[in-house]
Amino acid sequence: MFFKSKPMWGKKTKLKSSYDVVLIGGGLHSLATAYYLAKEHGITDVAIIEKNYIGYGGAGRNTAIVRANQRTQYNVPLYKEALDLWPVLTKELDYNLMFNNCGNLNLMHSEAAMNAARMNIATAQFHGVESHLIDAKEAKELVPALNISEDITFPIHGAMFHPPGGVVRHDAVVWGLAKGAAKMGVEIHQQTEATGISTKNGKVTAVITDKGIINTKQVLISAGGYSASLIHGFLGIKLPISVLTIQAMVTQPLKPILDHVVSSGAYHCYANQTLKGEIATGAHMDQWPNYTTLNTAHYIKHQAEALSEFLPALRGVRFMRIWGGLADMTPDMAPIMDGNEQVEGFFMDCGWGYFGFKSCSAVGRHMAGFMATNTCPDILKPFALKRYQEHKLMGETAALVNYTPDN
Amino acid sequence: MALTITCPICGKRNGYEFRYGGEEKGPRPDEKDLTPESWCDYVHMNKCVAGVQQEWWFHRDGCGSWFTIFRDTTTNLEKETPEAKE
Repeated sequence: MFFKSKPMWGKKTKLKSSYDVVLIGGGLHSLATAYYLAKEHGITDVAIIEKNYIGYGGAGRNTAIVRANQRTQYNVPLYKEALDLWPVLTKELDYNLMFNNCGNLNLMHSEAAMNAARMNIATAQFHGVESHLIDAKEAKELVPALNISEDITFPIHGAMFHPPGGVVRHDAVVWGLAKGAAKMGVEIHQQTEATGISTKNGKVTAVITDKGIINTKQVLISAGGYSASLIHGFLGIKLPISVLTIQAMVTQPLKPILDHVVSSGAYHCYANQTLKGEIATGAHMDQWPNYTTLNTAHYIKHQAEALSEFLPALRGVRFMRIWGGLADMTPDMAPIMDGNEQVEGFFMDCGWGYFGFKSCSAVGRHMAGFMATNTCPDILKPFALKRYQEHKLMGETAALVNYTPDN
Repeated sequence: MALTITCPICGKRNGYEFRYGGEEKGPRPDEKDLTPESWCDYVHMNKCVAGVQQEWWFHRDGCGSWFTIFRDTTTNLEKETPEAKE
C-alpha cells in the first residue's frame, strides 16, 4: 500500500541531489518543522527522509493525549503554545485534527503527591494555564466511574484537574501536516533510509541515503526514539538518552463512561475513552533499553489490575489491541534541542521521551525559526545539550524516576 | 519473547530478576585531569546502539552479582560475543 503511485499528500517526486534543508525522520516533529519552514520562512526546498512511512514511529503509536501541566517554567510555555496551536492548525491545514479538549485528571494518591501537585498547579497558573487541585469527592463528580474508597492499593486523595488538555487524533495531525507542507513544496520521501551525514571542516555537506547522496548545508535529526542511535552512528555524538519500549493497549468499545483523560502516577497508568468507545490505556516502560516495541504479558496483567482497581466498572472488559513504541528518556525528563553547536548545519530535536506528540506543533515552529535564522529562539535555549555538562538539569521530575540506572 | 539473562553464578534466569546497570563505558575516569566533559560523558552519555551492545546487569532478586553481557537491543536476546549474529 505504500508503493501506490500517488500518496495522499500530493504528487510523488524524484529525490533530487540537493536541497536547502534535509529533515531525517518522517514523524510529527519533522513534518511540523517542514511545515513552518515553508509557511513562516519561505524555505520550501526541503526534503523529509523517512525509512518506513510517515507516522510509523511515535507519531502513530502515542495515546493521543495533549496537555500543558508540566513542572518547570521552561517547559510549560512550550506545551501551552502547542496546546493553543491545535485549533489554529485545524483551520490553517483545513483538516479535522479532532481536538477534544475534554480535560486531564491526574490522580494523587498521597498527601505528598497532593503537595507536589500544588507546586505544578502554581507553575501552570503563573503561566496562564488553567489547572486546579480538587479533592476525591470532586474527582468522583467529574468521573463517576472512579473508585474513591479506601480499600484499594492506592486510595485517591485528590487530583490535579487541567481542563484545557485532552486528546488529538494523532494520525490526522500526521496527514494534515504532510498535506500542508507538501502543498507549499516540501518533498516527503518514504522508504528512504538515511545512512550517514558527510561533514567537511566542521560543516555539514551532505546526507547519505540508500537512494543516493543529497547535498545540503542544513540537516535536522528528529527521528523520535531512533534519533540517539542515528546521531551517534552518523556523527559520533553521544547523548544522555536511554531508549525504552513503552506499551499501550485499547479495550473493546464501550458505551460512554470516561469524559476525561484520567492518569495515575502511583498505578502507573493512564486511560481515556476514544471516540470509538475503546478505553485507550498505557504508560508502562520496559526497565531496560531496547528497540523491540513488543508488549509483555507482565505489563498487560499489571494494566488490567490497575484499571480494575481505580475504574472497577472495567472489570471483565477485554483488551482488543496492544502495541508498543519507543521513548527516548533523558535524565531530567526534558528534551534536547540544539543546533550549529557540535557541527555547523547540524540540528537535533530528540530526547522527548513520551512527550513528543503533545509538543510537536510548537517545537516544529521554533525549530523552523532556529534553522531559518541560524539563531536559537529564547524559548529553546534552555534545552541545549550543554546543560548536562554544566549540571543544569531541568526539574521536570519531582523525584528521580528509576527508569534506568543513569536517571 | 521473554528476556533471559545469564548470571555468572546462577545461570540463565528470568530477566525480571535483574536490574539493568547501563552501557559498559570502561573504567571510571581518573579524578586527576577530570573535566566537566569527561565526567558528563561517563555519567550521562550513551551510544544507544540499535544492535549488540555490552552492558551491566545486577542480579537483584538473586545472588547480587554485577556482571556484563552482550545483548541485541533490537531483539532482547543475549549474544555470546559482540559480533554474534542470529
